[in-house]
Amino acid sequence: MNIQATAQIFTEELQAISDMAKNFASKELVAKREENDHYPFGELFTETIKNASDVGFYGVNLPAEYGGTGMGYSALSSILENLSMADASMAGIIFTNAAAIEIINQASRDTDCSALYNMLSAKEALPIAFSSFTGIGEMEIPGASEKGEITGRINFLCLGGISRYAVLPARESTHGARISYYILDLDKHGIKKSEPVYSLGLHACPGVDVFLEKVPAILIGLSGKGIKYFQSMQSHLSLGAAALSLGILKGSFMEALQYTKDRFQGGRQIINWSEVRMILANMAIEIQAGQSCLAAACNELENGVTEWEKTACAIAIHVAEMACRATVDGVQLLGGNGYMKDYGQEKRMRDAHQAQCLLGMAPVRKMELIDLIIKESQ
Amino acid sequence: MGEIRLTRKEKEKYLSHDPKITDVINSLVTHYKLPKSKALYKQIDTAIALARKFNEEVVKPVYKQIDLNVTQDNEYLCWDVINKANEWGFNTLFIPKMFGGQGMNLIAMYPFVEEIASVCVGLANVVCVHYLGFATLCASWNLKLMNEISREVKRGEKTGNPCLISLAITEPGAGTDVEETMLIDRGRIETIGQKVEGGYSVNGSKIFISNGHVSTWHILICYTNKNKPSGTTVMLAVKNGMKGFRFGHREKKMGQKACVASELIFENCFVPDKYVCMQWSDLSERSSKSVVEVIQTVIDNVVSSTRAGVAAFAVGAARGAYETALAYSRKKIVNGIPLINHQWAQSMLAEMYKNVNMGRAAYMESAYANAMHGLAKTLSVRPIFYADMLVPSWCFTMISPIFNLKIMTWLFRLLNFYRYPQESAEIQSGWASLTKFGCTDLGIINTQKAIQLMGIDGCRHDIGAEKYLRDAKLLQIYEGTNQLNRINLFKNLVGRSMPEVKVF
Ligand SMILES: Cc1cc2nc3c(=O)[nH]c(=O)nc-3n(C[C@H](O)[C@H](O)[C@H](O)COP(=O)(O)OP(=O)(O)OC[C@H]3O[C@@H](n4cnc5c(N)ncnc54)[C@H](O)[C@@H]3O)c2cc1C
Repeated sequence: MNIQATAQIFTEELQAISDMAKNFASKELVAKREENDHYPFGELFTETIKNASDVGFYGVNLPAEYGGTGMGYSALSSILENLSMADASMAGIIFTNAAAIEIINQASRDTDCSALYNMLSAKEALPIAFSSFTGIGEMEIPGASEKGEITGRINFLCLGGISRYAVLPARESTHGARISYYILDLDKHGIKKSEPVYSLGLHACPGVDVFLEKVPAILIGLSGKGIKYFQSMQSHLSLGAAALSLGILKGSFMEALQYTKDRFQGGRQIINWSEVRMILANMAIEIQAGQSCLAAACNELENGVTEWEKTACAIAIHVAEMACRATVDGVQLLGGNGYMKDYGQEKRMRDAHQAQCLLGMAPVRKMELIDLIIKESQ
Repeated sequence: MGEIRLTRKEKEKYLSHDPKITDVINSLVTHYKLPKSKALYKQIDTAIALARKFNEEVVKPVYKQIDLNVTQDNEYLCWDVINKANEWGFNTLFIPKMFGGQGMNLIAMYPFVEEIASVCVGLANVVCVHYLGFATLCASWNLKLMNEISREVKRGEKTGNPCLISLAITEPGAGTDVEETMLIDRGRIETIGQKVEGGYSVNGSKIFISNGHVSTWHILICYTNKNKPSGTTVMLAVKNGMKGFRFGHREKKMGQKACVASELIFENCFVPDKYVCMQWSDLSERSSKSVVEVIQTVIDNVVSSTRAGVAAFAVGAARGAYETALAYSRKKIVNGIPLINHQWAQSMLAEMYKNVNMGRAAYMESAYANAMHGLAKTLSVRPIFYADMLVPSWCFTMISPIFNLKIMTWLFRLLNFYRYPQESAEIQSGWASLTKFGCTDLGIINTQKAIQLMGIDGCRHDIGAEKYLRDAKLLQIYEGTNQLNRINLFKNLVGRSMPEVKVF
């Protein structure tokens, strides 16, 4: 098959995935957005979490031989973006699970991980819990004994309250600087979990604080390679983080565009006040720019361009920052209504700010990026 | 002094250029003109200390839980704090002594609200939005009603039944429009007060009214002609229990959850003449200014004092976010060293500290502009200033029937409506807008920075930074959106002397 034909199939597949995500969002998420956001004071949308599994959203970066689709990061980005336009919590769940799987994918380059993959292909093994909002340098990391038993605490383990398995880092008892990744069964003895942590946004993608006391766990990949696995995962999932933020931003823009056409003040549709238009224009520019950057970064990754990791990291930071700024404006364009739960805007603003914390603190990630660039320039 | 000496004429010439001192250094002008600035200083430091004590004893123990309670049950009202504020005398703290209040200078109100907002903006609003209602009542210069309602607030303090005042102006179809006389006639106005024998019959609804459900009095702005609201504005004092008035739903908000935002519904609600604060038909008599101009003065006087208050809320939020991030960064280890010892973090914290202090300097400038040009101007006039400070309260109570004399209202309206200089309007209104959008934007910037600096911990409700962001966002919206305020600044301080300029 020539390159053009392969590209054509790829585009069609992507389109199908994007349609599927849109369809899922409109059927499962839109109508219940406010209700779902009420968690932990209301019910968690467990049925939707299960349905996402049925359509294969948790297997996008899982190898095909273990029940995944192995479709890669363009597909994952497309799903996250389309879901986030409606309600980013579901995207947060898919993101967290994909981050955990990516740790295993990275480890599988060093060791045979088929037993782990087999474990995950069992029914209801996915989504996996993971500290998707914390960088490894800013984390309180538990310790692992020589026997592979973990003791310590993990703050805000995302999905820790609802998942069967968790992927988490631990320091080797023999050598505190060596960090390895482990997978453990969250139903095991010795685990205490807090109530769901009530946080700013993404309420239906909840985290818990977990306290571990000699909990048996399975080492993922090689011992002491945790930081390397984390960094590779961070680069891959940066694309997902950018897509999630971009989706929120797009949702906010579309809601604002519609509202400013419907709302009259001063005898005209408010969209016809040029101050309002300018805010919309700034949002639109950020979307167009973000979209192009994301597509370029996905292409770089698919085509093995050497610089892709830096591009991915930069756009994740940049788009998340733009989404925070623009969703604040997205609320503003709806005036008082934007501040109320009846419209999606306030939720998008909250979600965007929490999404900015995906993969770790933004300033720390900026420093890591420039460290890498400086190292390469020497 | 150097070699160069200015002649008086020269000095006048150079000082007449823009920016004029009187336009841009309001504090200097105030300290020059206001008597007893030492007394003012003492009032401000007392107000700050009082607010800090209130924070320690009342706000800090409960504010996070109140936020959760409302999230869980939108019907929850924080009566405990409302009762405490009443007990502490906060509902009369800034009411002039001549009306039975404690007479603390209004300039002190701004640092006072910043203090409470630095812990919880929602509760700061609960405590202080009462003064939005009160300021609106005062802007009508109906001395009889000002006296009557203020004394009821005082009685509420004595009896332990809080008597709060809300302001109801926003309607479902008109938010920005009702804040600006140039827009209102093009707006979709629905709340109509029809003159009937012995009073007004009101129909319509108001939305987003802060403290609605917990207030006793509601200063209602309505119109007799929906096609010409700018010239047919009526200000009424509506009391709970009046026939035809009821509360509607409570909004489900992103932040400032402690402060209920209420719908007020009027169905043939009869408001007797004695509760008419101000009606357009009174204003058109013997007037050197048009009704619309007077109404704009009333609006300017209200929003100038309250916009500076919103700016102080925002500085409170910015400060709370800064203080939370600072405390966090002292404990948090990032890449093996305390966060506070990363140079980039020090730089971010310095930036946040700067925002707080620039914001405070700005809202104080606006407070001084209000003291010289706005609602508080009358209180800055020497005899009144001294009287309110030195004459004991019982004396005012004795002479208070004087406020029932129509001539008193006439006199104060003459001074504050008809003799009110355009230049004063421009300075107070322009500055209020400048500080309102300037400080509230800084509020968002600082709360965002706190989250960036704290990562996911900044998003946790139990740690406390995220709430400042949710609370701060409202400040960019109410008291005129920041967009309206930018145009208002432009109109008052930039475009005023340019005949080609047209706004709206
Ligand atoms: C929680 C809360 C509490 C409140 N408390 C009170 C209260 O106690 N009393 C009270 O009376 N009101 C209160 N308000 C109302 C508040 O003052 C209004 O929400 C505000 O004035 C904006 O009006 P709006 O919501 O109708 O927005 P709109 O006026 O519909 O504005 C929507 C958007 O259009 C823009 N826009 C509108 N007109 C123009 C124009 N001419 N030029 C350029 N841009 C324009 C705005 O900037 C905004 O971005 C409260 C609001 C909230 C949310």
